[in-house]
Amino acid sequence: MRFTAFVVAAAAVLAAACATAADPLPPADPAPAAAAPPADTRPPGQRLYARHCLSCHQSDGGGVPNMQPPIVGGSWVRGDPKALALFVMTGGFGSEERKDSAVSNVMPPFRQLPDEDLAVILSYIREKFGGGASAVSASEVAAARADLK
Amino acid sequence: MRTKNFARVVSLSLALYGGAALAVDDAIKVPAGFSVTVVQEGLGAGRHLAVAANGDIYLAGRDGLVAMRDTNGDGKVDQTAKFGDVQGTGVLIHGDWLYVSDDVGVYRYPLKKGELAPSGARQTVVSGFPKERQHADKTFALDPQGTLYVNIGAPSNSCQQKDRQEGSLGQSPCPILEKYGGVWVFDGNKLNQAPADGRRFATGMRNAVALEWNSSQNALYSVIHGRDSIDTLFPALYNAQDNATRQAEEFHKIVDGGDYGWPYTFFDTKLGKRVVAPEYGGDAKKSPESGKYPNPLVAFPAHWAPNDLLFYSGKNFPAQYQDGAFIAFHGSWNRAPEPQAGYKVVFQPMKDGKPSGEYQVFADGFAGDMADNSPRNARYRPVGLAVGPDGSLYVADSQKGRIWRIQYTGK
Repeated sequence: MRFTAFVVAAAAVLAAACATAADPLPPADPAPAAAAPPADTRPPGQRLYARHCLSCHQSDGGGVPNMQPPIVGGSWVRGDPKALALFVMTGGFGSEERKDSAVSNVMPPFRQLPDEDLAVILSYIREKFGGGASAVSASEVAAARADLK
Repeated sequence: MRTKNFARVVSLSLALYGGAALAVDDAIKVPAGFSVTVVQEGLGAGRHLAVAANGDIYLAGRDGLVAMRDTNGDGKVDQTAKFGDVQGTGVLIHGDWLYVSDDVGVYRYPLKKGELAPSGARQTVVSGFPKERQHADKTFALDPQGTLYVNIGAPSNSCQQKDRQEGSLGQSPCPILEKYGGVWVFDGNKLNQAPADGRRFATGMRNAVALEWNSSQNALYSVIHGRDSIDTLFPALYNAQDNATRQAEEFHKIVDGGDYGWPYTFFDTKLGKRVVAPEYGGDAKKSPESGKYPNPLVAFPAHWAPNDLLFYSGKNFPAQYQDGAFIAFHGSWNRAPEPQAGYKVVFQPMKDGKPSGEYQVFADGFAGDMADNSPRNARYRPVGLAVGPDGSLYVADSQKGRIWRIQYTGK
């Protein structure tokens, strides 16, 4: 059922792309442009998850067997927000600690993202994949970030 | 443990066939005149397969090696045996030997007349490849003289200073290419070789899982896995739709000393030309130095994941298939959020070793509905190809370990 919704959404995006002739799809991040691209109406969490996380962890958070692990239902998205923030900012605390992982690909760190974007992403994956776990604020991300230095 | 697994596989076999007619698989769509039957299933995470001159089928897989036989010639497998201690991808029959590979070596078992599962000891042809997580499968090809060509995939997406990290530039020159990202040759008849005993035959190949000797051309060919994530790594240059569509899976004739352009370039299907990778100063349109890297014979769509290649020389299929290439595309993950693609067997007509027409989808319908656009939910994923003594094409699956036989019946 969710797949059907996805196809409809994808078709809508493609139709929008076709309507603007050869113009590429609008970038996920808002960027100033001469001709305003069609507005991205997705909620910020969904949009930022799609921009940074989705291709590896997939739209349902289920990951890809042997390639990238699932996050849906896992202890990281349900657990301590600060630990989750540190995990994402360090890419799972760096590849060295995860040598025994059964999947191929190493998660990159996301500490380059601003606190606000990380808070939106973490809140999204906790709500959607963590059984409705509590939202994470930008100040909580900032506090976690302070621990990295 | 092995006895237990064996019992499980046999019971599945009986449940599947149980004296009934051949299991026709209507879900797999093939051209008119061909039929698809299920030979065996429940074999786990299958990879490549080989069929012996007597029709015995050997499957390599992440759950180990399996041998299968149709003892009474009715088209149904009625003996299934797990054997050996190799969990990997490659399997080929060469002379009286069954060559197999895992992530760190290539080995062989003697094939003795009448024997299904080899009873002889496993010999090591080459071992000691570093244990890697990315692109680790050591698939291989053998030429008639027994030269062994081993794919040593690059444990990297694009040789960034920090793998798969946004904006990280490429290492220059890419040090990975010294030991990975190409094809190395060994003596297939010599035992206990080390990686250092091999010679680099070709380079600039990110992961050449689909590597095959073409007997009609006396030459090596490959369909190479292209790179991932141009959009998330370089969002100012590429968007999600670009990433889903532009980086070709490149079909090449692999020549001694050849360089196929990874990680410095990729073939852009939108522009129809090779471009410099964004990690190496590419701006989404800049071309590399003219003539430095060959264009592919065919640029297949991005992320389809070519996992096996076969040149057809069997006697069952119509004349147009002779010497043409079948390619098993395992299917994408990195096209998301765009719809996933691949998950099919494609036929590329060939004449004198060159493409002689557009590629055609030969077998499709493996993935099923694939809920949530997730590869995890694919029903089947084609991963291995082989031709039987009668000219039938065999296809192996990685999701459930199903094996199909595709025959031309003319009906």
